[in-house]
Amino acid sequence: MTALAWGRRKRALAQTWAEYRRDREGMTGLLVLGGFVAVALLAPLLADDAQLSAVNTTGNEVWAPPGEHPPLGTDSLGRPIYDQLVYGSQVSLLVGIAATLIAIVIGTVVGVSAGFFGGWVDAVLNRLSEWFLVIPFIPLAIVLAAILGPSLRNIIFVIGVTSWPVTARLIRAQVLTIKQRLYVERSRALGASSLHVMGRHVLPNVAPLVIANATLTVPVAILSETVLSFLGLSDPLRVSWGSMLEDAFSAGALGREAWWWYLPPGLCVIAVVLAFTLVGRALEAILDPRLRAGRAG
Amino acid sequence: MRSIVPAAAALAAVLALALAAGATAQSPDQKVVLTVGLTQDLDSPNVTVGELVSSFELWNLQYPTLTDLAADDLSTAPGLAESWSSDDSGRVWTYTLREGLEWSDGTPITAEEVAYTINRSREEEWLNHYSTVQNLTAEATDERTLVVTSSVDDPKLPGLSVYIVPKHVYEEIEASEIGKYAALDGVSAGPFSLKEWKKGQFWRMEANDSYWRGRVAIDEVVFRVFRNADAMVAALRSGELDAAHNVPAAAFPSLETAEGIEAVEGEQGGFDYLVLNSYAGQPPRDETKFDAPHPVLLDLRVRQAIAHAIDKETLVERVLSGLGTPGTTISPSPSPAWMPELSEEETYEFDLEQANQILDDAGYTDTNGNGVREHEGKDIVLRYAIRTESEYSKPYAEFITGWLKDIGIDTTFSSYDDGQLIEVAGKGAFDAYVWGWTPFVDPDPMLSYMKCDQISVDASDFSNFWNDTGLCDPEYDALYAEQNTELDPDRREEIVHEMLTRWYTNAAYVVLATSPDLQAYRTDRFSGWVRQPAEIGPVLFSNSSPSYWSLEPLASSGDGDGGLSTAAIAAIAIAGAGALALVGWVVLRRRSVEERE
Repeated sequence: MTALAWGRRKRALAQTWAEYRRDREGMTGLLVLGGFVAVALLAPLLADDAQLSAVNTTGNEVWAPPGEHPPLGTDSLGRPIYDQLVYGSQVSLLVGIAATLIAIVIGTVVGVSAGFFGGWVDAVLNRLSEWFLVIPFIPLAIVLAAILGPSLRNIIFVIGVTSWPVTARLIRAQVLTIKQRLYVERSRALGASSLHVMGRHVLPNVAPLVIANATLTVPVAILSETVLSFLGLSDPLRVSWGSMLEDAFSAGALGREAWWWYLPPGLCVIAVVLAFTLVGRALEAILDPRLRAGRAG
Repeated sequence: MRSIVPAAAALAAVLALALAAGATAQSPDQKVVLTVGLTQDLDSPNVTVGELVSSFELWNLQYPTLTDLAADDLSTAPGLAESWSSDDSGRVWTYTLREGLEWSDGTPITAEEVAYTINRSREEEWLNHYSTVQNLTAEATDERTLVVTSSVDDPKLPGLSVYIVPKHVYEEIEASEIGKYAALDGVSAGPFSLKEWKKGQFWRMEANDSYWRGRVAIDEVVFRVFRNADAMVAALRSGELDAAHNVPAAAFPSLETAEGIEAVEGEQGGFDYLVLNSYAGQPPRDETKFDAPHPVLLDLRVRQAIAHAIDKETLVERVLSGLGTPGTTISPSPSPAWMPELSEEETYEFDLEQANQILDDAGYTDTNGNGVREHEGKDIVLRYAIRTESEYSKPYAEFITGWLKDIGIDTTFSSYDDGQLIEVAGKGAFDAYVWGWTPFVDPDPMLSYMKCDQISVDASDFSNFWNDTGLCDPEYDALYAEQNTELDPDRREEIVHEMLTRWYTNAAYVVLATSPDLQAYRTDRFSGWVRQPAEIGPVLFSNSSPSYWSLEPLASSGDGDGGLSTAAIAAIAIAGAGALALVGWVVLRRRSVEERE
C-alpha cells in the first residue's frame, strides 16, 4: 500500500515537473529565484559582513559612486552597497519565507477546520478571517510592529499573523468540495475519526493548493517587510533591502542623486517579488484543480 | 493576495507623498507669508511643560520678556522694560515698563502682569522659568514700575528674559491643572500669535497688531514639519519654503553653492551627547511606576569604559559630514569661555584597548565566549533608543553600538519621536540614546538641568524633568548653588569649570560633538535676516529670534522657479515604478482569472 502510494506520488511529481518545465515564465522565475537563494546562502563567501558595520569602514570614502568603490559604491557612512545588498537578501528571503510559513499554517488550520466541521466552528472562524480581511493590512501591521517593538522576529510574526485569511478562505472552499466526495463518506462509514479523515483524505487533497498559495504569499511578505523596514519598524541596525531604502531616503540619497544606493535594493525587491509571483502562478495553474480543468495539456 | 497592491502602492505613495508633500499652500490675496521648514514638531505650546527647541521658537514669537537679548552679542537689552536701576545692595532692581503695552486681545500689560508670572513660576517651579526666578520676588509698585528683589546675590540680574504669560488667561488655571493646559489661546505680546497647530504637520501664527516694536512686515508665519529632512531641502530649493531649520549635513554643501539660497552654520553652543541612564535611587521615587537602568551603568567604571570607546573625531567626520567639532564637556552657553580646558589625564581618549581593560579589571568578563560580557551570569545588553526626528540618530547609533560591541556590550533598539522619547526618558525606560542641547546665554539654566532635583520623580507627569541621566551628584549641586550667587565673573567662571569637569568625569553624559545649527534661507523672498549672535549665530531658532521682526518682503517675491527638483523627479520615478508594478500585477491577475473562467 505505502509503496504503491509512493510510486503514485513519485509519478505525479514527475508529471507536475514535466508540466512545469513547459511553462517558460515559471522557469524564468525559478532561475531568478535560485540565483537569489544561492546568493543568500553563500553570502559569507560573496561578501564581508564586517563591512556592514560603520565602525569598520572608516577607511572607505563616503558617498563613493560605483566607479570609485567597485562594484556598487558606498553609502553616507562609507559602508559598501554591495555587501549590504548581499546580506540584505538573507533578511528579505528569510522574512518572506518564515512569515509565509506562519501564514500558511494558520490559514490551513483555520481553513480545514472551518470547512470540515462546518456549523458554529465555521461561522466563528469565518467571521474571524473576515475581520482580518477587512482591516487594512498596512496600518494593522504598523500598529502591531510598533507595539511589539522593532525586531526581525516581530516583523516575521506581524506579517505572518496578518496575511493568513486569504489562504484560509481558499482552503475552506476546497475542503467543502472534498468533504462531499464518496471516499470520504466511505471512510467515515468504516468508522474513521475526524482526525483520520482530515489527515488522510482532506489534507493531501488540499496540499497542492496550499503550496501554490504559499508561493504567492511570499512576495507579499517580502514587500511588506520592505515597507515596514522603510517605515523604520524593523530591527534598525539589521541590513535588509527595505532598511537600505530607508537609510538612503533619510540620509538624503535622493537629493544627492546617489542612485547607486537606492536603485540596487529597489531592483532586487522587484526581481524577487516578480520571480516568486511567476513561480507561484505557474504552480497554481498546474496544482489548482479548478484552473487545471481549463488547461489544454 | 490583496496585499500586494496596497504594499507596492503604499511604498511608492509614502515616498512620493513625503517628497512632494504639500505642494499647495500658496498665499491667497497677497498675504505676506513666511514659511519655515523644520523636522521637529512642537511638544507642547504650554510654556510650563514644553522642552523642545521648536516650542521655544513659538514662545520667542508669542511671549514678551522683561529684558531682551541684543541681536548682535546676546547682552541684556530693553524688552518690555525700557530702563532699570538697582539699589546699593545690588539685590533690588527697579524696572520701568514701556508706555501703552498691550496683549493682542487688547488687555493692557502692566507691571502687575509681569510680577504675576515671576511670582507664580517661582512658587510652582515652572520648568522653563525656575532656574532664573528661583530667588526672585516681584512686586508692582505702580502700573509701569516693577521691583524685583533677589534673596541672594544674583549674577544674572538685571537680565530677566523669562517668558511673560498673560495673567488674565493663566489666573483661570489652577496649579494642578496647568501642566495639562493646551495653551492654544493665542494671546500674544510678541510679533506673532499662534492661530493653529496641526500635530505632526504645521503650526501657523499671525502678526500681532499690538506688538511693542510695531506690527511686523510679515502677515503670517507658517512652520511646516517635515518627516524627511531631504524633502525639506527639496521644498526650499523649489521655493515652497523661505527658510529651513536643521538642514541635514549631507545636503548642506550643495545648499552653500546653490543660487538664491544662503546657507548658515549657526554657532550658539549646541551640542550632541550620549546619555547613559545612571539613576541610582536618589532622589527616591516610586520604583513600581518607573523603570530602572541596566545595573552595570551604575558602575562608574563601565560608564568610563564607554566614554573611552567613542571616537568623536570619526563621529564628526562621518555623521556630521565634518560640520562640527569633537566634544569634551557640556557647553552651557554660546560663549566658549565657560568650558574648561581638560588636562590629559582627565580626558577620556578614544582607546578600545583601555576600555576593554577597564571592564576586565572591573570583573565584567565574557565567560561563555559569545563576545558579550556578562553581569551576574547574564549578557550585558543595553536598551538603546533611536530618535526618528533626527537623521543623525541612526548613524550615531551605527557607530556607537559598533564600538560597544567591540568592548563586549550588546544593544537592543527602539525608535521614538521626540515627544515619546521625553516620556520614555522620564520613565527611565532606556539605557542610552543620543540627543542634543542648545544652551541659553547665561550658563545657569544649562547647569541647573543636571541637578538632583531635576531628575524625574513625578509619576503623574513623566515629562516634568530636565536631568535625563538620573545621576545625582550632591557635590555638583553645592557648586551650582555657589556659582548661582557669585557676582565676581572670574570666580564664577572658575566654579563653572569645576562643575563641568566633575560632570565630565561622572561620564553619564558623553558629549559627542558641538554642532552648529545648519539653516538655509532663500534670498529672493525676504531681506533683513539677522544672525544671533552676529556673524556666527543662526538666523532662526536662536536665543530670542530677532529675524522675525526685522524681515522685509522683497518686491519681486515670486513663487519659486516652477521647475522640478531632483528629489521630486526621483519621487515621480518611484511612484511611476510603483504604478508599473501595479499595472503588471493587475495584468497578471487578469490573465489568471481568464484562465480560471
